[in-house]
Amino acid sequence: MELTPEMKAAIGKSTDTTTYEVTSLGIRTFCRAVGYENPLYFDDEAASKAGHPAIIAPPGYLGMPVWAPGAARRQELFKSPFTRNLNGGTAVEPLEHVYAGDVLEAVTTLTNLDILPSKAYGQLMVRKSETIYTRKSDGKVVAKTRGTSLSY
Amino acid sequence: MAVDAQTYDKIEVGQEFTLEEATDSQRLVIWAAASGDFYQIHYDDNFAKNNKLPDIIVHGALKGMWVGKILDQIAGTDGWVKEWDVAYRSMDIAREPITVFAKVTGKREENGEKLVDFECGTRKTDGTVTTPGTGTVRLP
Repeated sequence: MELTPEMKAAIGKSTDTTTYEVTSLGIRTFCRAVGYENPLYFDDEAASKAGHPAIIAPPGYLGMPVWAPGAARRQELFKSPFTRNLNGGTAVEPLEHVYAGDVLEAVTTLTNLDILPSKAYGQLMVRKSETIYTRKSDGKVVAKTRGTSLSY
Repeated sequence: MAVDAQTYDKIEVGQEFTLEEATDSQRLVIWAAASGDFYQIHYDDNFAKNNKLPDIIVHGALKGMWVGKILDQIAGTDGWVKEWDVAYRSMDIAREPITVFAKVTGKREENGEKLVDFECGTRKTDGTVTTPGTGTVRLP
């Protein structure tokens, strides 16, 4: 199988905006899972004393997409013939502090797409994308992430 | 356990920082809640075994965020994690400790910023690096 015209046309296209909520509970759960001990990430008073408007999200924490029953998990820019997915890798570029209470708007662009031969799977679809997170309240780009997704 | 915040003048090329992380099922469940990744291969033994896995496996994204954490600790409150990337090369079976590492590969000043580059990632107890990556931190 080779890239179809529909797949080739999807390269460079972007998804609709996804809204992410950054809540104090979300930040604290992230701290608990990853093992953060810096009080600026979970203690309101410590964050306030250091001049921050709320607790800070550790680098890489960009909230959770707003959930609704039956909502699609993610928007697909093309129809993939492969059904199994693996996370190939992630890059994170934090640009601004993100705070509890922030609402972020994320847009993902498909930056590259390839179908490669694979010893393990026969063929492997390699999808590269970049997501830009913008804070709704002040329009600042707070982070960029890049991802590699593998399908077979 | 945490590594100490560093300064640009004191940090040395070749210096390595490490953290040991536990990967018990409870921790993976907390990560599932934190990340919204509820795929059962990470917490349901039967589901994992029925998918040809020897046991539940550690979420790739959690390993990626541990790398972010060690860089954040090195940067401290006065520094900044500029960026990091990781590749999920192979899986880590849960309940085995994981070492998160960040080794200094270079120091440079760019646009008035004091930047330190790292080779970073996670490795198993036998030394195999399952999640290789790189990172850059601005230090005071």
